Amino acid sequence: MISGGRRAASIGLVLAGLGCAPLLLTTPRLYSFTEVVILALFAVSYNLLFGYLGLLSFGHSAYFGLGAYATALVLFHWHGLPVLLAVVLGTAAGALGGIVIGNFCVRLSGPYFAMLTLAFGQLLFAIAWKWRALTRGDDGFGEFVKHATFPLLGTLESPDQRALYYLVVSVIVPVVGGTWLLMTRTPFGNFVVSVRQNEERAVFLGYDVLAIKLVTYTLAAGLAGLAGSLSAIFHDFVSPSAIDLTLSTDVVLMTFIGGTVSFFGPVLGAAFFVYFSDFISALTDRWQIIMGVIFVLIVLFAPGGLVGFLERIPKFRLRSVRSEAPR
Amino acid sequence: MDPFGVLVFLLLGMLNGVVYAMLLFLLSSGLTVVFGMLGVLNIAHASFYMLGAYFAYSLVQWTGSFWAALLLAPVAVGGLGVLVERFLLRKAHQFGHSHELLLTFGLAYIILEIVKWIWGTGSHPMNAPVRLDESLPILGQVYPTYRLFICALGLCVLVALGLLLFRTRLGMIVRAAVSDFSMVDALGFNVRALFVGVFGVGAGLAGLAGVIAAPLLSVYPGMGSDMLVDTFIVVVVGGLGSLKGALIASFILGELQSFGVLIIPRLAMIFSFLLMTLVLIWRPMGLFGERV
Repeated sequence: MISGGRRAASIGLVLAGLGCAPLLLTTPRLYSFTEVVILALFAVSYNLLFGYLGLLSFGHSAYFGLGAYATALVLFHWHGLPVLLAVVLGTAAGALGGIVIGNFCVRLSGPYFAMLTLAFGQLLFAIAWKWRALTRGDDGFGEFVKHATFPLLGTLESPDQRALYYLVVSVIVPVVGGTWLLMTRTPFGNFVVSVRQNEERAVFLGYDVLAIKLVTYTLAAGLAGLAGSLSAIFHDFVSPSAIDLTLSTDVVLMTFIGGTVSFFGPVLGAAFFVYFSDFISALTDRWQIIMGVIFVLIVLFAPGGLVGFLERIPKFRLRSVRSEAPR
Repeated sequence: MDPFGVLVFLLLGMLNGVVYAMLLFLLSSGLTVVFGMLGVLNIAHASFYMLGAYFAYSLVQWTGSFWAALLLAPVAVGGLGVLVERFLLRKAHQFGHSHELLLTFGLAYIILEIVKWIWGTGSHPMNAPVRLDESLPILGQVYPTYRLFICALGLCVLVALGLLLFRTRLGMIVRAAVSDFSMVDALGFNVRALFVGVFGVGAGLAGLAGVIAAPLLSVYPGMGSDMLVDTFIVVVVGGLGSLKGALIASFILGELQSFGVLIIPRLAMIFSFLLMTLVLIWRPMGLFGERV
């Protein structure tokens, strides 16, 4: 447990770091840092399913992709649209997909859930791939950000790294903070944890377990849609790689390497994933093998992930989602 | 089209469906029995299929003989399956099912990357063996001999598997272990050793499917994940753990795909998802499954 004062200080430090990052980092470094922030949101949304609900999804990129395509399409076809409205629409697209698909998936658990999410993910990928009239298939499409209206700045003639970074951070930080409060400080968060710990008991206590699962699934899908939406704007490009199986598997890797037992573990995992793959891909072309081996070693020997390692350091404890009574 | 033409069209469409059904059954039979015994959903199962195809490709290059590949590649893949079970899966078992699932997922990831490393990311065409690369006249049409060979081989494996499981003592123990693993364990059978064997045979059958699919679909890194989804749909529709369900669902899906491609090519793959969704709404445990 971190005491209240230390927690406030560390939150302040993180916020200050995020605010100053563009002043301290060179353009390529700022680029990968922005990717870390976006993927961190994506991994946090994934962990709402595994860490909090105990459901293992292999099709989470479906919602990332829905958000990315929805935002890209509205910006592409609707000139002068406020960028934040496009982000909201992308998030809504992810959440809508989450309600529809989640309605089937959350009735199942374990391997059935894993298989069904994989199948639906592949279905949406196939649609993005084949429906060329809408998505331009494999080629993808870009250069839609110049049509958007930004708050304070108006339209951006050429995408400005720093402006996009501040857009991404100013959306993601409050959203992730709010989700953290929701999952750890409200009765809803307690319901979710109780469902994972003992579903049968939660049913007997009178909770509508299916509704809790569906709401959490939809929330996770909406947050993934938000991540996809911001990713499309940041890259000014969208293609089926925003909705493919590779992205679905990458987010599993990130989340587990970071550690699913803590709300912020996946953030660490996303940072590790981006920076470590940058680092080893400079040394070898086969960096994915190394990433896969690290993942398997973590599954076999360190189920707590990186956070599990950090928690062995005295006085460094991130709140565990497995704790009996999250406050 | 005259009635005879329609009949021929339907017959050849059905035959194509049977070819695909045979591949699906070879894959899903191992997956579903392994799941039935220990509740392990093996995501790396489709990687074994892919490895079978790649091993066959290399063996054909070295030996020049498809038949050597057909014999050796499944054995090699089966051996690899035994090693995976013995040294990795068994270790993850103590942490529970989600860790086993994650382990096989990590293995699938590593196998895919190793395959890309060794054989490259491109697609390798593979020829059907001599005399099978021709076409036979059927009902005034020509039909590739190799597809008929797949049907015949698939039926042989099906019969052999059926005899092994339903007519031998060993098969009886395996079926008993599928329905209650710990009870068979308590009765004094060495079910852990049995499970290694079943896992190896399942991997070998997936490898065999890979070998025979190679001349049909060519050999490429995405072949595993392409097949994974259809295999999963088969075991979900048939019911996890049910061999009969896997067989029937393989045929349903094979025919659905075959006629889907003929009738509405662009929406062919939607049909299999529609089938799965409908079955899950109607019977969440699958057609022949016993538990959710």
